[in-house]
Amino acid sequence: MEAASIPAGPPASQRVKQLIGTYGLTAVLLIMPVWFAIQDLTDEGNLVRLGENLVAGLSNGAIWALVAIGYTLVYGIVELINFAHGEIFMIGSFISASLIVTLGLTVDSAAVPVFFGLLAALLLAMIGSGTLNVLIERVAYRPLRSAPKLAPLITAVGMSFILQNVGLLWKGGNQQGVPDLLNAQNTLFTVFGVTIENADVLSVVVTIPLLIVMTSFINRSRLGKAMRATAQDPEAARLMGINVDTTISLTFLLGGMLAGAAGLIYAMYQTTIWFFQGFTGGLIAFTAAVMGGIGNLRGAVLGGLIIGFIQQMSDNRIGTEWTPAIVFGYLVLIMVFKPSGLLGEQTRDAG
Amino acid sequence: MRSKYMAATSCLLAALALGVAACGDEEEPTPGGEGNEQTAEGKDLTIYSSLPLQGASRVQTEALVNGAKLALEQAGGKAGPHRVKYESLDDSTAQAGSWTPEAESANALKAAQDEATAVYIGAFNSGASKVSIPILSEAGVPQISPANTYVGLTTNDPGSEPGEPDKYYPTGDRTFARIVPKDTIQAAALVTLMKTDGCTKVAMTNDKEVYGAGLARVIELSAKEQGLELTSNDAIDKNASNYRSLAQKAKAAGADCFVYSGITANNAVQQFKDFAAALGSDAGLYGPDGVAETGFVSEKDGGIPASLNPQVKVTVATLSPDQYPPEGQEFFKQFTEKYGVDNPDPYAIYGYEAMKLALDAIERSGTGEKADIKKAIFETKDRASVLGTYSIDENGDTTLTDYGAYSVKDGELTFDQTIKAQAG
Repeated sequence: MEAASIPAGPPASQRVKQLIGTYGLTAVLLIMPVWFAIQDLTDEGNLVRLGENLVAGLSNGAIWALVAIGYTLVYGIVELINFAHGEIFMIGSFISASLIVTLGLTVDSAAVPVFFGLLAALLLAMIGSGTLNVLIERVAYRPLRSAPKLAPLITAVGMSFILQNVGLLWKGGNQQGVPDLLNAQNTLFTVFGVTIENADVLSVVVTIPLLIVMTSFINRSRLGKAMRATAQDPEAARLMGINVDTTISLTFLLGGMLAGAAGLIYAMYQTTIWFFQGFTGGLIAFTAAVMGGIGNLRGAVLGGLIIGFIQQMSDNRIGTEWTPAIVFGYLVLIMVFKPSGLLGEQTRDAG
Repeated sequence: MRSKYMAATSCLLAALALGVAACGDEEEPTPGGEGNEQTAEGKDLTIYSSLPLQGASRVQTEALVNGAKLALEQAGGKAGPHRVKYESLDDSTAQAGSWTPEAESANALKAAQDEATAVYIGAFNSGASKVSIPILSEAGVPQISPANTYVGLTTNDPGSEPGEPDKYYPTGDRTFARIVPKDTIQAAALVTLMKTDGCTKVAMTNDKEVYGAGLARVIELSAKEQGLELTSNDAIDKNASNYRSLAQKAKAAGADCFVYSGITANNAVQQFKDFAAALGSDAGLYGPDGVAETGFVSEKDGGIPASLNPQVKVTVATLSPDQYPPEGQEFFKQFTEKYGVDNPDPYAIYGYEAMKLALDAIERSGTGEKADIKKAIFETKDRASVLGTYSIDENGDTTLTDYGAYSVKDGELTFDQTIKAQAG
């Protein structure tokens, strides 16, 4: 008689590994908010504090998301990390702040001139930053398209330095105040005790429509399809009659325009701008793009928002001096669990 | 890849810093080239100053330099039998917008290697002096700071770090003196001011630098002594885009006032904006001498918005011209005539006095040798100066104790009162 065979399951260590692989990423993402929620409920009996952290995180994260899209768009199509993108964002802030001053808008200006002034600043910042990004691509990246990958990477670093110095010469080395036209930190309304400020609304109201327009453009328009085709296989796209050079320029234009818009929102949100904001902001946005999965638009937005939440929770609960370490700690953990990023897709490089 | 990028940034900044630092502003050159040529009448000596001539402190440091130049001019470029020239060095870079360790180190090395160096006036920032003191001490160059207040540069009093101040003097030879009261006095003055203004719970941030973190420690001690509750002492990330969540934390803790311990260049303006928004328009906002500058108080120079002016108060060792002895008041008249400024920056008098003390020490030294000049500085007793009568103690500290409390009106510092705070 044969002994009844008992189907042997995987060993315990493997099961633990599987569990970590399946749920580890979710646990990593939820650990801070869940921990703080329990803490708030225990200490204060409500979740108002956590709610305020999340609202501030959403509005801050929306700005990083706009900048992160520029990194991810360019990487998706030419597989280049455009290090100058953070400085494009800084130039967007400088253009809009300069126009606001030129138009004579102050905290005492009436609502109508402020509205049209900001609209003009938004358009000018988007056009200026977009055009600048296209010019950079034409001058510093296109001639190196068939060169080893290190070459355009170094020219990107070079462009970053050049633009940083342009900003330094333009506005000086100190932080510059921008008129608080929107009374940014004025409480607009409260929801369940959570205060929503003018700046929060501005950030979300400008960012979400821009993201919808951008994703619709890429998914539905002919040019958007050309961009996706070029991202998948430039040679095949060229054979199908797509003008690859124009498509790449368009990608830089769109990324630059979003950075310009982010520049205006940043200026209105923080009411302070400086030449180094592109370096620090660019680093955060680049991290967001990698965290979300570089090359993926939704991933960039998700990464930006997650970083916004982490920053605000850390600032409020742990201390601002630890915030950069915590953000990058999260990045490391996410990369460990999902090396391609949260919503990462296969790139041409990765096969 | 990003780390390579950052490393490249650091290298370029260091190179620029060294380049900028090399660009000194030489005043009253004397024939004879380098070296302290001895003639029958005396030596050719050089007094260097090292101050951040770019960035938020520019207005104050220009006033310091002009004050020093005026003192030398009035002395006819001589100290006793010795001919003295003055060279103003810059320890800041445009990129940093404030002092950098590379620039300060380059300046100190330049002074240390120059045989003709008699005195080094500086630095403006305590962190910078932490860099220059060991270099100058090893070379035996006497140093007079017109602005450093950090406790640990001269003493191991509360607020200093372990090993201070001995670790700055590798040869054991004290070469550093200052003519502003140390932070023990400033902290007591700030706490006194906040208590007088009715603050009950105060949120504090510091910029993690030598000066900011050190002053914050002393403020904590002083607040405890005077019975003022501090709700926090948060070290900030100076590159953060905003501090709203930190300010919300202070609000949740019931803070009714805010004090920042640090310098303007470390994102002070953004902090004041965010804490003012969170704590409300009745909250008092306080800062030390690190923010007592145009780049902080003037909106058109990138400072706080005019709407915050009524809430902000600042302590600084300078007083109103009419609070100084007659010699001090006379100085402000002469300075106004010479430079055509109606309202001289308060720091001008410290530049003037630092140079006067240096010239006096050179004269008293007789020989013009560094060791004798240093001895003369530390033997300064009951000196009747434009700041009042003071001595330099064995640690290199002044015996002056008065601090001025300033409010902000129309983007300018306006003297309110003299605070006679005594630490401990």
